[in-house]
Amino acid sequence: MTNALAGVVFVPMAALFAVILLPSRYSRAVAIAGLLLWPIFLIPLTAMVRAEGAVTLALGNWPVPLGIGWRVDGLTVVTLWLNAAVALAGTVRAAGFFDPERHGARTYWPLWLLLVTATNAALVSADLFNLYVGLELITLVSVALIATADNVPALRAAMRYLLLGMLGSLFYLLGVGMVYGQTGSLALAVPAGGAALDSTALVLMLTGLMVKAAVFPLHVWLPDSYGQAPGPVGALLAAVAGKVALVALWRIWFLFAPDDTALPWLIGALGSAAVVYGSLAAMVQTRLKRVVAYSSVAQVGFLLMVVPLASPAAFQGAGFHLLVHGFAKAAMFLAAANILIALGTDAVGRLSGLDKRMPLEAFTLALAGVTLVGLPPTGGFIGKWKLLEVAWQQAGWAWLITILLSGLLSAAYVFRILAMTCFHPRHSGSRAVPRKPPLAASLAALLLALCGVVIGMFPGPVLRLLALAAPGGVS
Amino acid sequence: MTAELYVFAAAAVFGIGVHGLLIARHLMRKLLAVNLMLSAVFLLLLLFSTPIGGKPDPIPQALVLTGIVIAVSSTAFALALMVRLFRLSGRATLPRFEPDDD
Amino acid sequence: MIGTLAVDLLLVSILIGLAWQVVRGRVLFRAIVFFVAFGLIMAMIWGRLGVPDLALAEAAIGAGLTGALMLGAFRRLVEIDARQAVSGGLRPSPRLSLLLSLLAGLLVAVLGLAGLELRGGSGEAGRAALDSLHLTGLGNPVSAVLLLFRGLDTVFEMLVLLGAFLGARHVAERDRRSGAAIASHRLPMVGALQMTVVPLALVVALHLLRAGANDPGGAFQAGAVLAAGGVLLTLTGRVVPQAQAGLLTRFSLIFGTLMLAGSGIVPLIYGGVLMAPPGKTAIYAIEAAMMVSIGVTLSLLFSASAGLRAVRS
Repeated sequence: MTNALAGVVFVPMAALFAVILLPSRYSRAVAIAGLLLWPIFLIPLTAMVRAEGAVTLALGNWPVPLGIGWRVDGLTVVTLWLNAAVALAGTVRAAGFFDPERHGARTYWPLWLLLVTATNAALVSADLFNLYVGLELITLVSVALIATADNVPALRAAMRYLLLGMLGSLFYLLGVGMVYGQTGSLALAVPAGGAALDSTALVLMLTGLMVKAAVFPLHVWLPDSYGQAPGPVGALLAAVAGKVALVALWRIWFLFAPDDTALPWLIGALGSAAVVYGSLAAMVQTRLKRVVAYSSVAQVGFLLMVVPLASPAAFQGAGFHLLVHGFAKAAMFLAAANILIALGTDAVGRLSGLDKRMPLEAFTLALAGVTLVGLPPTGGFIGKWKLLEVAWQQAGWAWLITILLSGLLSAAYVFRILAMTCFHPRHSGSRAVPRKPPLAASLAALLLALCGVVIGMFPGPVLRLLALAAPGGVS
Repeated sequence: MTAELYVFAAAAVFGIGVHGLLIARHLMRKLLAVNLMLSAVFLLLLLFSTPIGGKPDPIPQALVLTGIVIAVSSTAFALALMVRLFRLSGRATLPRFEPDDD
Repeated sequence: MIGTLAVDLLLVSILIGLAWQVVRGRVLFRAIVFFVAFGLIMAMIWGRLGVPDLALAEAAIGAGLTGALMLGAFRRLVEIDARQAVSGGLRPSPRLSLLLSLLAGLLVAVLGLAGLELRGGSGEAGRAALDSLHLTGLGNPVSAVLLLFRGLDTVFEMLVLLGAFLGARHVAERDRRSGAAIASHRLPMVGALQMTVVPLALVVALHLLRAGANDPGGAFQAGAVLAAGGVLLTLTGRVVPQAQAGLLTRFSLIFGTLMLAGSGIVPLIYGGVLMAPPGKTAIYAIEAAMMVSIGVTLSLLFSASAGLRAVRS
């Protein structure tokens, strides 16, 4: 049992060490081996979570307030699987960029593996400060990976992200300090003795996390960063690494939130604002990657609906949505990267006739787009439906409208892309495809998009896992 | 008495850091300002804990030490980014932030 | 009573004055120097608050190495384009900015006082740490927390340092290596300085490492002092930046993390516990490895290179 948990965090770490020590011509192979090896540990872990609901571990056997605790539940497992899939798919694409002889391979692969290690560690962590360290590592490595694009806009975006990330950390850290001062414990668990946590500390931590999760209006670093990041990096960040802060926000909220404040409403309002703003902004972007980036801003807002709608079913819906959108976003980023390399641009206006020029990519975009909109039978439908159900039952009209709006607005920007790329009758560009992407890269993107759809058709296992995931405090 | 005085010090340094962040155009100045703010937060982190049997609580000390190392790491990387940005763009400043499409 | 208050007031006013100079100083170079001074006063404050481990760390890492890194980066900017390097310094401070910072300061003051109010929680974790100290074989509770009770935090902290190095290396890789020496070690005074200080740094580092078990000190402080020696060697041209990292360099970069994480994993093979506390000799070995890694990483971050090669003198 411990071995499975240990493997999830320490195998990518071992691969990282191996890549650093071995000659650079082995970097890619070792990275791929590591990324194929660690998910194997997820299989027994998933089985255990299925059986017991949640798996906990006190590191070093030190009892938890003294030591650091790990906790894996259904949501953790689902996110870990997503991480495994996207990291591998991104590697297929990145392998084309960073063949071993090319400069940068020496540092790219370790950074890539470091991101996976950090994400896994942060996801299983049940300690507030350990979470801080994990989030810091994720931010630092994300910035470094964005900077691998090595052009002025990317470097500027990376710098902004780093500065804003550091500001977010300040808030979070201050909150953690207050928590420790008040409770004497850093454990991410129901406070002992049932004493409620002071709201100030909670708000501080949530603010910090909202910066890192890019919750409107603290999202300003995201569009440039994701828009400038190389495709595989954008895929991993949008799908998983960027979501770690959001998952942490959920957990902290549901464990520590006081019962009767306006806070759930405030957070829900920010979520609604994010949905509207993100979707509207996505509609006017001229570059494909930026459309997907703003779509992420909207998605984060959508996922915040689980805060005012607190209930196990809402949590199920949100978790499912996280998974499915992760696949869809990652697929779109990878496809966009392929398009950018092949045609030299990802400006939507210049991509007409994409279905003839790069049919695999066009199909990937279509599948992923439909998943984002949430049409049945894709997985996007189930997440939205579950949340709609809960909103209806609780008569949370504001949230109901937000959820419906998110569907409508995402339809708007998705169909805009599809219309301009695939259904446009007039071909403004040539038919030529200067640099065709390797088939593996196109298939990797397509496969991710298919996952989003297939999970929608067979949602049972995932939903069952997530049913056990509702944290304490969600009745 | 001592604790309140140092809380005031931390608050003052934090405020000065915010000021620095807002008025600085040069990235290195922004980094200096952020580091000031970090120092203030570390100070507060320690002040929020109570001594245990006369000895200071070791947990916040470990947390702040970790924080200092993370701060120097982030700063080191930010400096490298800044130098590269300067080399490529000729400026060590970020242009006014325009959050719309390029 | 009055005596300590006077000391505190003095420290606080100097601290705030220095912070102001950092932020409002017209000359960037001076701002960096004031920042180093700020760090040293912070170290004194940590000492005043009774936490010598933090004082050591702040002086060596927060003030010393951060300052060195900043000055190094500043120099690289100047080498690229001396005029543009310092341009765009300060915006004229409109009243809005002053107002915002005042509000921020007030907010933090309120939060700080609130945090003080909320104290008096059990300090449960800290109490447990002090109570369990005898189980660890260590006398310094901070070291025990860092290496044993919360060892995973330290593993990831080391990974943050590694990540910073990897990221910095990636962005700097294509840059022409600048000559890092500013004063050759062949000059008599410089040579003498280097020959005195560098061995001294080594001795102090080893002392801090050894002492860290039961007294203030530890791998981080020791590693930082080692790095200070590395910085001096680089500045005097006794070691020269290299574009490629040899196997030994790459190994020393991860040595500490490898040992710490490895010691956590190895017990699993024998059916033990993940991150089980190692014995006293193992702890020394791990800390020594960490010292090497921290020293090497910080030195390479300063020289902005992948490796350093000694020069025959």
